[in-house]
Amino acid sequence: MTWPILGITLFLPLLGSAVLALIPASRTMAVRTVGIAFAAATFALSLVMLVSFYATPKVGSAVLGGSVHGRSLAHVASPITFQFQEQLSWLGSTRALGQFRQALNQGNNGVNQAFAPPINFSFHIGVDGLAVWMVALTGLLFLLAAVALSRREDRPRSFLILMGLAETGVIGVLVSLDLVLFYFFWEAALIPLYFQLLGWGGPRRGAAALKFIIYTVAGSLFMLLAILGLYFITGAETGVYTFDVPTQIAMATQVIGQHPTSLTIFGHVFTFLTPEQWLFLAFALAFAIKVPLVPFHTWLPDAYGSGTTPFLIFFAGIVSKLGAFGLIRYNLALFPQASHFFQPVMLALGVTSILYGGLMALGQRDIRQIVAYSSISHLGFVVLGIFALNVDGLGGAIVQMVNHGIIVAGLFLCVGMLEVRFGTRDLGRMGGLARPMPIMAGMFLVLVLAGMGMPLMNSFVGEFLILLGVFQVSPAWAVAASLGVVIACWYMLRLYQGLTQGAVRIPGTGGEERRAGGSVSGGGVRDLRALEIALLAPLVAVCIGVGIYPSPIISTIRFNASQYMRLDGRGPQALMPTLGLGVASSSAPQPPGGGSAP
Amino acid sequence: MAVAIQLAAAPWLPLHFVPAGNLLGVLPILIVGGGAVLVLLADLMVPRRGNLVLPVATAVVLLGALGTAAGQWAVHAANPIVFNGAYADDRFALFADFVILITALAVVALSPGYLRRRGMEEGEYYILLLASVTGMLVLTGALNLIVVFLGIELLSIPLYVLAGFARDEPLPQEAAMKYLLLGGFASGFLVYGMALIYGETGHTGLVAIHHVLTATAVSQQFDPMLLAGIALLAVGLSFKVSAAPFHWWTPDVYQGSPALVTTFMSVATKVAAFAVFLRLFSATLAPYRAEWQVPIAVVAIISMVFGNVVALAQTSVKRLLAYSGIAQAGYVMIGLAVGRPDGTEASLYYLAAYAFMNTGAFAVITILSRRGEDCDRYSQLSGLGRRQPALAGLMAIFMLSLAGFPLTVGFFGKFFLFSAAIHDGQLPLAIWGILTSAVSLFYYLRVILIMFSGVPEAATEPEVQVAGVTLGGAALAAPDSAVAVGVPAGLVVVLAGAGTLVLGIFPALIYTLLQGITVVHG
Repeated sequence: MTWPILGITLFLPLLGSAVLALIPASRTMAVRTVGIAFAAATFALSLVMLVSFYATPKVGSAVLGGSVHGRSLAHVASPITFQFQEQLSWLGSTRALGQFRQALNQGNNGVNQAFAPPINFSFHIGVDGLAVWMVALTGLLFLLAAVALSRREDRPRSFLILMGLAETGVIGVLVSLDLVLFYFFWEAALIPLYFQLLGWGGPRRGAAALKFIIYTVAGSLFMLLAILGLYFITGAETGVYTFDVPTQIAMATQVIGQHPTSLTIFGHVFTFLTPEQWLFLAFALAFAIKVPLVPFHTWLPDAYGSGTTPFLIFFAGIVSKLGAFGLIRYNLALFPQASHFFQPVMLALGVTSILYGGLMALGQRDIRQIVAYSSISHLGFVVLGIFALNVDGLGGAIVQMVNHGIIVAGLFLCVGMLEVRFGTRDLGRMGGLARPMPIMAGMFLVLVLAGMGMPLMNSFVGEFLILLGVFQVSPAWAVAASLGVVIACWYMLRLYQGLTQGAVRIPGTGGEERRAGGSVSGGGVRDLRALEIALLAPLVAVCIGVGIYPSPIISTIRFNASQYMRLDGRGPQALMPTLGLGVASSSAPQPPGGGSAP
Repeated sequence: MAVAIQLAAAPWLPLHFVPAGNLLGVLPILIVGGGAVLVLLADLMVPRRGNLVLPVATAVVLLGALGTAAGQWAVHAANPIVFNGAYADDRFALFADFVILITALAVVALSPGYLRRRGMEEGEYYILLLASVTGMLVLTGALNLIVVFLGIELLSIPLYVLAGFARDEPLPQEAAMKYLLLGGFASGFLVYGMALIYGETGHTGLVAIHHVLTATAVSQQFDPMLLAGIALLAVGLSFKVSAAPFHWWTPDVYQGSPALVTTFMSVATKVAAFAVFLRLFSATLAPYRAEWQVPIAVVAIISMVFGNVVALAQTSVKRLLAYSGIAQAGYVMIGLAVGRPDGTEASLYYLAAYAFMNTGAFAVITILSRRGEDCDRYSQLSGLGRRQPALAGLMAIFMLSLAGFPLTVGFFGKFFLFSAAIHDGQLPLAIWGILTSAVSLFYYLRVILIMFSGVPEAATEPEVQVAGVTLGGAALAAPDSAVAVGVPAGLVVVLAGAGTLVLGIFPALIYTLLQGITVVHG
């Protein structure tokens, strides 16, 4: 691959925004076409990348220079394979860094006191097996959102411009291989999202936007400190001062930052967590808010309640996955020891989210809020799978991240279509819609079944693997999480039955409800238009397709998951053979495409 | 005398000072100071109203000084100390000079339109501005306590007059009086501190003081008188940079002064005062770092907490920016408290960033101001997003930058400061910085919220529409005044916005400049 496909994928949506800014806002048809064209091109590129990623697996790169406890780091490589890497100097010169390292090697002990290590970060991007799937999902959801943008929407040009900026931000988060670049995109992506939440949607959108951005930024600020802390801690231990993610992952395979921190108060020495554990907590806070895990979730119902449908497609579909992505890429990979230390805490948070989200979804009358709380519950499953800390759990979590992105986008699309038709989101005012809208009901049924984790649906695969992984760690957590599956059936069926079954109830525009008898079809209600079917069809197809034949996805993802599990030196921990899913049952899956594991 | 022996024994002491009268070293000061006199003479000859001679002349003077300073930077004299060790045109001073001169240029570009709208077209305005800039340039390179005091007074006295420049309004009168009294008070602290330091060390030259302190610091004989001197110096300078708890004048003066004077005061004064603060503490008083580090850190934390928390409760835009300025001073002080080269670099970076974003934010306020009243209420910003989307967008960029979001220069400003603090092991400073940054989001984002979600006020007060600024720079017109007013003002805002974004994406543009900076005799 000689041309920078990843860089192009990253900046194509930004270019799209720039082009849109040049088109007069009054020409809505042109604006819409250009917006969709750029989103489609981005999606196509992401698919090309996905295919060629698995065609040529490669090994990671070693740490240049540096040593820990007298051992050279020169042969230590990142176990995670990153492809399509591109690197450009951003700030600081390698010359200054080389001089600094030379001074350090000459045994000049004073050097650490006298000079700060030159700050040095680069524009380094690349994808691993996790990111490449997430980028493809991003491409798909942003394309759907661009198509789903209603013709009646206010200021479509501004919305599409912000959407392009958001897409570049989200892809940037996924492909950054430099901690500063990652933080840069992580925060920058919030700005277009904030303005989209502020400018379009329900009446309380201002408060929702403010709540969302303050929550997320407050959490991420601690991550900024942790990034700087990691830079100086690993730098002081190894002499390699770098924000480069593969290098940091490689160094994390060595034991770093394990001395407990202590504080002396009135002569008593209090010992706290190790630096690695502090850093883990700071990163985990930022990601837990973004996911969101339950004590940090309160921004979500407001934001999901007030955004427009196209916004929710990518906001619920991909932006919330960024938290889970961060937990895997940064918490697992950079802090393997601390991940084991905090495993019980994270599992508990995951189970709490599953049960709390499910129970809250049961209690809602607002159909959007049902989907919103179901999202909390499903993401609890993802976190649970991640912190099973074995190949099954992590593989299931990654599969489930992609699945949930598809399902939640579909559910919000359906909900949005009902909202447009009836002007209400109240479950109690709608009913029996299967009669006037059979196509909608059919597609909705697939998505609901997928959301429940029924066999032959994509979610089943993911949730099964997650539970399998968690069971190996602790059967008690697995049992508790299975309760969540039961609750999911309950609220999902409640949603489906309430909307589509029973007597036909169609809310009138003037607030009066037209109660049609059971035998009468709801007159004047249109079923899905061709465009709406076209929007839902790919999502429904993926739900069924992955459910019936999951093995290509699972084998590729398990390979990547096994790389993450090799980080703490304990090796892959798939203790039980995976059952009947067409997956090789060896504990160290072979990479697809004929390559050999590094 | 022990001190004299110590001095003679120091082999690296530059005993052969550059011959006195090395005027090249102070050329920017001479240009601005001489320019002030020329503008004063020109003011006698040209008519007062509707005349662009004075602002253009002022801008030419400032550009000349800027060019000279750039030349000095390029030459990079091996021994930049001139006038017998009283002044240094080192790169540290020159960097601060750049920031001050560019800010002053922006203020001058905004002036004609603003003064006309507010009905304050007086030639003295430009003379006072140039005099104040002269004082700032003196301050940035001052290597002698006497010169420091000279610079502080030269920059302050014209500002006292400028603060009350809107003579027929009550609030500016109050602001000017407060500024005069409290400014004088602060100068008193400063002089007292200088006197104590002189009494203990026997020198007013910073280089000599540094050597004496290095000797005493080694012997661990800390003199309480000297410590009192350092403390008073810190208090006096904290007044000037408006760091809490020495900030009480700031909100009233910033709110009362004409918006454009506030722009100048909040950016240029702060840069100049911080330049001398950094030079004094991170270089001259470096041997006593262990003594002053904690108090300075405490002042930084108080500023960050107080500024940000009180800003939450403000209903006046100018007061909001005043408290935000107090908080920003606290952030800059993180670098000061670190005290090492990376801390100084981070502080200088943040000051440059602050110049862009704060000048931009205040410039928007001045553009929205009109006769008899500055734009000061939230309701005047309400609906700006629909009335003037480009102007509101730029204001949003400045607010996001002040809040420290990536893509803007404010992010890297904070990044370098926190990085310096963590590397120095000053974790509390970084954590307080983080916490208060989170608090600051509330009020910075509220400004954006009001601009983009409020209803335009134009329905009730139609004359609020002053300048229609578009990014293309084409339609920079004010409905009731000449186009010539709108163009430079719009240009300032657009350039400040572009600078905020470009430096936010390419931080190396400034950071590499700072890599070459050494505080002379550091």
